[in-house]
Amino acid sequence: MSEKDLHAKFQKLPEAVREKVDSALADAKIALKLKVAEILADKQEVAEHAVTTAGRIGAKSGEVSELTTILPLKPGGAERLRKFFKLVGGNLAGAGQVGTLHNMRFVFLDNDTKLLFATAFDGEWDPYIDDFATKIPDFMDYLFSNVEGWPGITSPDVKDFIVKYQIPAEAWFVAHPGLTVAEGARLKRQESAVQRFLSDLN
Amino acid sequence: MSVFRRLRRPPTLELDDIQATLLRARPEPYFGTHAILEITEPAAGRELLRRLAPRVTSAARWDEPRPSWLALALSYQGLVALGVPHESLASFPANFRAGMAARAERLRDTGPNAPERWEFPFGTPRVHVAVTVYAASEHDWRAEVAAYETELGEVPGVRLLSHQDFAADGFNVFGYRDGFSQPVVEGSGAEPLPGDGRPIKAGEFVLGYPSETGHPLPVPTPDVLGRNGTYVVFRKYHSHVAAFNTWLHDNARTEAERELLAAKLVGRWRSGAPLALAPERDNPAIGDDPNRINDFDYAADPRGLRTPLGSHIRRMNPRDTKLTVLTDVNIRRIIRRGTSYGTPLPPDRLKDDGTPRGLDFIALGARAIDNVEFLQSEWVGSGNFMGLGKEKDPMISLQDKGAYFTVPGTPPRRVQNIQSFNTLLGGEYFFMPSLTAIRWLSSI
Repeated sequence: MSEKDLHAKFQKLPEAVREKVDSALADAKIALKLKVAEILADKQEVAEHAVTTAGRIGAKSGEVSELTTILPLKPGGAERLRKFFKLVGGNLAGAGQVGTLHNMRFVFLDNDTKLLFATAFDGEWDPYIDDFATKIPDFMDYLFSNVEGWPGITSPDVKDFIVKYQIPAEAWFVAHPGLTVAEGARLKRQESAVQRFLSDLN
Repeated sequence: MSVFRRLRRPPTLELDDIQATLLRARPEPYFGTHAILEITEPAAGRELLRRLAPRVTSAARWDEPRPSWLALALSYQGLVALGVPHESLASFPANFRAGMAARAERLRDTGPNAPERWEFPFGTPRVHVAVTVYAASEHDWRAEVAAYETELGEVPGVRLLSHQDFAADGFNVFGYRDGFSQPVVEGSGAEPLPGDGRPIKAGEFVLGYPSETGHPLPVPTPDVLGRNGTYVVFRKYHSHVAAFNTWLHDNARTEAERELLAAKLVGRWRSGAPLALAPERDNPAIGDDPNRINDFDYAADPRGLRTPLGSHIRRMNPRDTKLTVLTDVNIRRIIRRGTSYGTPLPPDRLKDDGTPRGLDFIALGARAIDNVEFLQSEWVGSGNFMGLGKEKDPMISLQDKGAYFTVPGTPPRRVQNIQSFNTLLGGEYFFMPSLTAIRWLSSI
C-alpha cells in the first residue's frame, strides 16, 4: 500500500478517531523530544533544579518556594489597597526586612473583585507564617483585612484559610535554586569588598 | 548548682492538672528511666492508664524538691491503639499524626541518622506509650520504677518494647554542664533568673492558654483531652566523644587551645560559664552560680568574636542577635528535659571504648514539634538564618564530608573536617496529656 492510499484510508475514518490518532502522535512527538533532551541534559543541573514540596503546600526548588493565591476581595477592598499601593508608589521595599522574600506581587483580577498575591520565598511555608503572626501582625492584617473572610493573622485558622486559596504551581523554575536572599546579600558584600580591594591595589 | 527556682507570685496555670515534667527541673544528680510500651488491646491500654493515672505526678508545688516523679505521653499510634474517636484523632496536627520517622526529610534525618537505621522500636508504628521516671536518688528511682512496673506487669495486653536507664550529675557525656537554660513560663509563678529574658506566654508551652499571638494555639478536641496538655519530642543520640576529643587534638596543640576551640563550638566552657562572660578561660564560679550562668546577651558581640554566631548555644537561643531572617525568637523556645546516659569520656581519651553513651533530647511545648522541625532544618542544619551559608551546628548536626567550622576573628580561622559528633538512634513525637485527660482516655 502506497503512502497516498494510506492517507486516503485514514481520511475515511470517523473524525473522532482521526483526532485521537493525531493527538496521540503529537504527544508521542513531544515525549520523544523530551526523552532526547533528557539524555542530552546536564544531570547535575537537573538535580539542582529538582522540584520538591515547600511543606504544607506549594513547590520548592532548592531553597526557594513559591506561593500563589487568588483571594476574593471585600467590596471596596481593591480601592483601599490601590490607595495604599499608590501612596508608596508600588514600592514595597520594607518587605526586605523579612529576609526571605525574593519577590512578591499584588495584581487585581476580575474587575477588582479578586486579588492575585504571588511570592517566592526561602524555606518552608509554616514557620514563616508563624513569624508573621508575632512579628508583623498589624501589617499583615492591614493588607489582608481587605480579603473576604480573612480570619486575622493571629487566628489559629489563618493557615487553613491561606491553604484554601493557594494554588500550587504545576511547574517551578528558579535560576539559582541554592541562592537564598541572605546568601545573595552576603555575596554582594563580598563582591564590594573584592572591588574595593582591587581599586586600592592599583 | 541549685536547680530549683523560687515562686515570685502565685501561679495562674492549673498546675495540679499539668504534668510535673513541664515545669519541674530535673534534679542534680539525677536518676531515671525511659520506657516505651505497645498497646496490643485497646481495653488493656485504657486499664494501664487507669492504673498509672494516680502515679503520674502533677506540677503542683513544682518549686519544691521532690524525691521522684513519673511522666506519661502517647504517640499518635498510641491514641489510635487506645480507641480514641476519629474526629478527635483528626484534630491533632499533621506532623504529630505522621510521626517523626515520616518527617525525616524535614528534620534532615538522612544518611546515618535516617529512620531505616534507627534502634528498635523507634520509627515503627508499635511505639505507643512513653513512661519516664526522674528521681533525685538511686533509691527513690528504683522505688518509683518498681511501682510502675508492678502496674505494667498486671496488665497483659500492654507490652514493654524498650527500657533505658539513665543517670548523670548535671554534666553531659562530653563533660559539659547542661539542662539549666530554660524559658520562663508566664503564669507558672517562677522567679526569672538574671538573663532569662521576659516570661513567655503560657500558651507557647501548655495547650489552652493564650500564646505569644494573644490567642491559644490549636487545641485537640475534645477540650478535656487537649487542655493542659503539651507535645513532646524525643530524640535519642549516640555521642562520639572520642571523635570530638580527637578532632580537638588534631586542630589545637595545647590543652588550653583545645578547651578554647571546644568552647567556640559550644559557646560555653565545661563548667557552663559562657564565652560571653569568660572569653579567655573557664570560670567555674560563673558556672556554679545560677544567677550568673545565663546573665548575658550578645549586644557587644554582633560579629561573634567572643561567642561565634555559629556556636551551638547561639544557634539554639540567639537571644538578641540580629538575625538575617525575620524570626520571633520567643516562639521558637522549647522546654528541655533531656537526659544523659552512659559515662562521660575524659578529654584525653582519643579511642572509643565501644560503650553506649549519649543524650536523650527531650523538648516540650505547645509548638515543640513545629519548633524542633524548624530548629533542625533552619538553625541546626543550615546557616542561612545568620548569614553563615551552609555551615551547620558544630555539635548536633549531621555534617557533610569536608565540612568546616569558622571561628570569627582577625583573620577568621577555618577549622576543617568537622565531624558529626552525635548520631541519631531514633525518636518519636508524643502528646503529653493533662491528668484529667489521662482519666478521660482511660474511660473512653
